[in-house]
Amino acid sequence: MEPIEIGLWVSGLLLATVLLGMRVAFAAGLAGLVGLVWIFWAKFGYDPERFTKALTIAVKTAGQVPHSKVSSQALSLIPTFILIGYLAYYAGLTKALFEAAKRWLAWVPGGLAVSTVFATAGFAAVSGASVATSAVFARIAIPEMLKIGYDKRFAAGVVAAGGTLASLIPPSAILVIYAIIVEQDVGKLLLAGFIPGAFSAVVYGLLIIGMAMTIKGFGPAVTGFTWRERLVSLPPALPILFVVATIILFVYNPFGGDAWGTPTEGGAIGAFVVFLMALYRGMRWAELKDALLETAKLSVMIFTIIWGVLIYVRFLGFAELPAAFSDWITSLTLSPMLILICILLAYAVLGMFMDAIGMLLLTLPVVYPAVMALNGGEYVSAAESTFGMSGPMCAIWFGILVVKMAEFCLITPPIGLNCFVVAGVRDDLTVQDVFKGVTPFFIADGITIALLVAFPSIVLWLPSLA
Amino acid sequence: TEWNVSVWGKRRAFTEHVEKLAELVSEKTGGEFTMNISYGGLSKNKENLDGISIGAFEMAQFCAGYHRDKNPTITVLELPFLGVANLEEEVAVSHAVYAHPAVQKDLARWNAKLLMTSPMPQYNIVGTGEARDELGEFKDMRVRATGGIGKAFSAVGAVPTSVTATEAYNAMESGVVDTVAFAQHAHLSFGTINKADWWTENLNPGTVNCPVVVNTDAYEALSDAEREALDSSVDEAIAHYLANYGALLEKWDSVLAEKGVEKVTISEDQLAEFRKVAADPIREQWIADMSAQGLPAQELYDLVQKTLSDQRSGS
Amino acid sequence: MAGSAAVLKDGSLISRWDRQLLRLERVMALISGLAVFSLMVLAVVSVGGRNAFNAPLPGYVDWIEQVMPLIAFMGISFVQRDGSHIRMDLVISSLRGRALWLFELISVLLILALMLALLWGSWSHFLRSFDFAAPLWSRDSSIDIGLPIWPAKLLAPVAFAVLCLRLLLQVWGYGRALILGLARPAAVPLVQSAAEQAAAEAEHLGGVSTSASDRD
Ligand code: NA
Ligand code: NA
Repeated sequence: MEPIEIGLWVSGLLLATVLLGMRVAFAAGLAGLVGLVWIFWAKFGYDPERFTKALTIAVKTAGQVPHSKVSSQALSLIPTFILIGYLAYYAGLTKALFEAAKRWLAWVPGGLAVSTVFATAGFAAVSGASVATSAVFARIAIPEMLKIGYDKRFAAGVVAAGGTLASLIPPSAILVIYAIIVEQDVGKLLLAGFIPGAFSAVVYGLLIIGMAMTIKGFGPAVTGFTWRERLVSLPPALPILFVVATIILFVYNPFGGDAWGTPTEGGAIGAFVVFLMALYRGMRWAELKDALLETAKLSVMIFTIIWGVLIYVRFLGFAELPAAFSDWITSLTLSPMLILICILLAYAVLGMFMDAIGMLLLTLPVVYPAVMALNGGEYVSAAESTFGMSGPMCAIWFGILVVKMAEFCLITPPIGLNCFVVAGVRDDLTVQDVFKGVTPFFIADGITIALLVAFPSIVLWLPSLA
Repeated sequence: TEWNVSVWGKRRAFTEHVEKLAELVSEKTGGEFTMNISYGGLSKNKENLDGISIGAFEMAQFCAGYHRDKNPTITVLELPFLGVANLEEEVAVSHAVYAHPAVQKDLARWNAKLLMTSPMPQYNIVGTGEARDELGEFKDMRVRATGGIGKAFSAVGAVPTSVTATEAYNAMESGVVDTVAFAQHAHLSFGTINKADWWTENLNPGTVNCPVVVNTDAYEALSDAEREALDSSVDEAIAHYLANYGALLEKWDSVLAEKGVEKVTISEDQLAEFRKVAADPIREQWIADMSAQGLPAQELYDLVQKTLSDQRSGS
Repeated sequence: MAGSAAVLKDGSLISRWDRQLLRLERVMALISGLAVFSLMVLAVVSVGGRNAFNAPLPGYVDWIEQVMPLIAFMGISFVQRDGSHIRMDLVISSLRGRALWLFELISVLLILALMLALLWGSWSHFLRSFDFAAPLWSRDSSIDIGLPIWPAKLLAPVAFAVLCLRLLLQVWGYGRALILGLARPAAVPLVQSAAEQAAAEAEHLGGVSTSASDRD
């Protein structure tokens, strides 16, 4: 059997075990290991006497992967980003942000919902995880919206959708993971997330304003905050700006001078700032210990998937499957843009059933080279490329697109984790309620994704400066 | 026979001899013996020796400086200021060292047999700001240099700074480092030349040594014809590499001119001073450390020097 | 996602073993958390040292690479204990009783087989970097300041060994539930639907945010 056929069989095995409920990390590791045994034994002509030898080589090859792949400087951003998010709770940043957003923005039609969207966008700047963001704001924002007469389903939808902003606006664990898999500059990817994230927030905001102006009985605007009240709401939310500024300045200095360091340092210094803030707000060892334990748990979950999937990827390397797939994609006679759109749609379908990180890790090793080949290769210049952008820029653009797709999947049924979380926080809401309330945001996300595809410069402008 | 070959990065001057070798071997055996070169798909570069040892692939490239303790004997070739002047000399000293029994024994721990080197030019530095052409100006200079070269710079008061090769450009841009030590092709491919105001043309602080090895069992399992095809192709592959790199070096001057990078020449007495402060103590330390491990360190160092003088009197 | 399923405790032998192992797992997870904290400290020292004293932390990258395995491996068994490793439970959450325990048992057995293999593989990876005869027992060192790598490589088999113990316990737990036809067996994570899991997670995060907002 040809290596590529082995690759296909093993990928099928992986899909089956994942669907039947095996933990994704271990299903991928097992598929990779089985695949490696198969490949090496095939190389020995399936000689029964040399099966042990094939097994030994495969086990030792797979056994290198965990240590080899996780001891990477760039990956250290993931735990630091997670820690920032947990520390931010203790620093009281969530409430401060919502309060400030309310006082400054709630006077527009649908004001409280708009404020919620921008508060989640602000919180996204210290939180690397979408689900956590939705959970927190479900507690803070929904009661206030209900108080002034919002439809409870819509209020829940706003929070579920707002939470998805956390993975585009840096810090973002998922963007780091993308950068690692495709071996692109982490700093540039993080920068690239800013504008699409803010852009998504604006589209959400405009959608809410439009709904407020056309639908009768939509939540009223909240007016009457004095400028003094507005100004005093800012200082407690300032650390957010400080974290954002730190991360930006460590990647790119907009004032034309030198950046302050590397992205890795920026993430860790940002965490340190929030840590000091939390200490100042009264965090003690017991709370720090909780934050560290939770960070450790989430980190190890992500890292286990990373090395598990990378064992599978190591096997794919021996099976030459990614190369075969990208040859196939480029040989199609369809227009490249149509193929790209099909790939994005496939992610939308897959995302209905899968977790975002698992989905990206499992698919990118095969899909990413194909997309790059579609654009004309990893080192192509903008002039010679299909999509009018150089290889590295195409990598960034595609990264933002798939992450946006993955985030979209967090609010689509049947498995939309953000919606589950919001329903879980609120006893008065069922999952169906939240899915109903979030439906308008599908339109907003559809528009956002279409615009990001049509106008790549929304994504690429900022990173092209750095 | 089909061999898997593990290299990394993308196809570049640094891998041209491997590509050529694959081409020659296949030609000579009428397609009987092929090599499947994988750029990073089979292993991480720092684990290529592990892969050879396991038998996961049959041939691989690595650099001694990535993991000094894995291959202590070859690190003699990475000592600062060895005095190697060009790529031909680099090939000669590398292959002389590879042929030494102690070196072969060292690599035999990894079930590896040394096939050929990937000669790299001297790691001259590029820098930003005022050109530094005197030792005094190296004080407090933050330089991206690893291993022996890093040690040499710290001997004259510079601060070696830990940055991965892929982050070198960012680090220069952000002022994390003032200078970066690389071979020319790496200054080009990692973009550090685009940030540079100057480049030292004759500092020649040293280089890294990157052998290509084969799995011993796989080598012995080759048919006589195949082994003959492999062995006889090494010189030709190296010649191809040298010609290719030579063309790149010729282009180098025009790249410097185009980017307005100043060529800095360091005076002979400054260089002598640098060697005295950096080269001698580091070499003595190396010889002492390696001898303590029971390795013929002095002999290896002498072998390098003897090969260099033979090479020069011969040519 | 961080949703932790309930693990029941009772007076049975397996439950006592479960709690013993949990103590070890918790300590290991906390070490991993402290390692994350140390990343922050390393960056402060390196950036601060560079800017204030022109003395960056020597080998900053090498040190990070040494710390990462602590973060990546040490908590693996702690997370397996309460069933938090990510999975797709579309199918499994629709099963009940013996059918469910059978699926869980097969799944845990497969993971055990994988982890025993990786225990072997990662141990041999460690052995290749370790040499009693060499200085600092090192046969593999980091690129910049030459730190021995074997301690970091050893973390993988150590963490995997603890995970294998946990998996053995879960094989026992699910096997017992399958044979005895238990409804709510002790010492194994009880399956929850995705929605229940999310609710548990929201509960947890809510708890955190409540305690934070208490101080607002
Ligand atoms: Na974020
Ligand atoms: Na979904």
